[in-house]
Amino acid sequence: MASHSLNDNATAAPSGAPIAAYLDELGARLLGPRRRRAQTLAELRDGLNHATDQHLNAGMSAQQAQAAAVAQFGSPEAVADAFAGELATAYARRAIALYVITGPLVGIWWLLLLRPDPWRAGLIALLAAIPVLPLIMLALATAGGTLASTGRLMRWLPEATPGQALAATAVIAGLCIGGDLTMIALFMASGTPMRPLAIIAVAASMIRIACGITVIARAALIKAHFP
Amino acid sequence: MGDSELTRLEAMPVLPMRPELLKGHLDALLLAVLEPGPQHGYAVMEALRSGSDGALELPTGTVYPALHRLERAGLIASNWETVGGRRRRAYHLTAAGHAALSEQRAIWDQFSTVVTALLARRPWPATA
Repeated sequence: MASHSLNDNATAAPSGAPIAAYLDELGARLLGPRRRRAQTLAELRDGLNHATDQHLNAGMSAQQAQAAAVAQFGSPEAVADAFAGELATAYARRAIALYVITGPLVGIWWLLLLRPDPWRAGLIALLAAIPVLPLIMLALATAGGTLASTGRLMRWLPEATPGQALAATAVIAGLCIGGDLTMIALFMASGTPMRPLAIIAVAASMIRIACGITVIARAALIKAHFP
Repeated sequence: MGDSELTRLEAMPVLPMRPELLKGHLDALLLAVLEPGPQHGYAVMEALRSGSDGALELPTGTVYPALHRLERAGLIASNWETVGGRRRRAYHLTAAGHAALSEQRAIWDQFSTVVTALLARRPWPATA
């Protein structure tokens, strides 16, 4: 189970210890980037250990102290619900950042393959060669706006809710899927022979389409588990 | 505030506050708790509780996600350290956090003066 590996100190706790069981159950309920979930559990473990120490100092047994600390922190369901928004935002920001970073790695092959002749410079020629440019610009604008309104700039901008951030992520993934499918379809329809450059471009787009479907499904799953 | 009023306030029972009552003020409270120096999440919860004589006993699910959100906003930052074999995340104010706290204090001073004047039906303090 995924939660066992996230709860990295589980083996250090006595078998059947309330804190280990609590963190296992909580870890199974958290949805979001793996690293963030592991950090959340490690942070809560430290807090639970502090609470346990306080109860031990008050004269409780080890088992009683852990049980009291767990009760003090609230049910795993309630705590998981409370963290759902932050983890959803973390997932959205990470997925969008990956799209922004890896976008050029896909686009460069199509640009090299379909670039307009040097004597036909200008925006119109570029749009004729790469007709999905408006989709790319829209995806970039959505990405920039979402990263800004969920990051440091949210002190000045209206803060995007976790639901809005997830929706923006799905939109960006959808735009990329649409762009990739369009490029592949246009290339296939052109009857241009499959050169190595074309194979790389199509393969890169296919990989991004698969990733996009995964991102949309994951965002929908996280959204469905919102409290 | 006169002696009789202080005595009246001291005699009042400390009522636990619901987290929703703190909406809009939690960020400032967390920044204020972190102002003296770095603290880990549980110490922040304890500082809120002890600093309010138990009135602000906020649940885990309120304090930790709020700290994460403040870090996302760049008002606080965190470092992981290992103390006594335990991994611990300590939060501290950033320069932006110090500035935001000063701003929040000024807003609160004005807001609390207005609300106190209205609720206690005291005269609005005359400006010099």
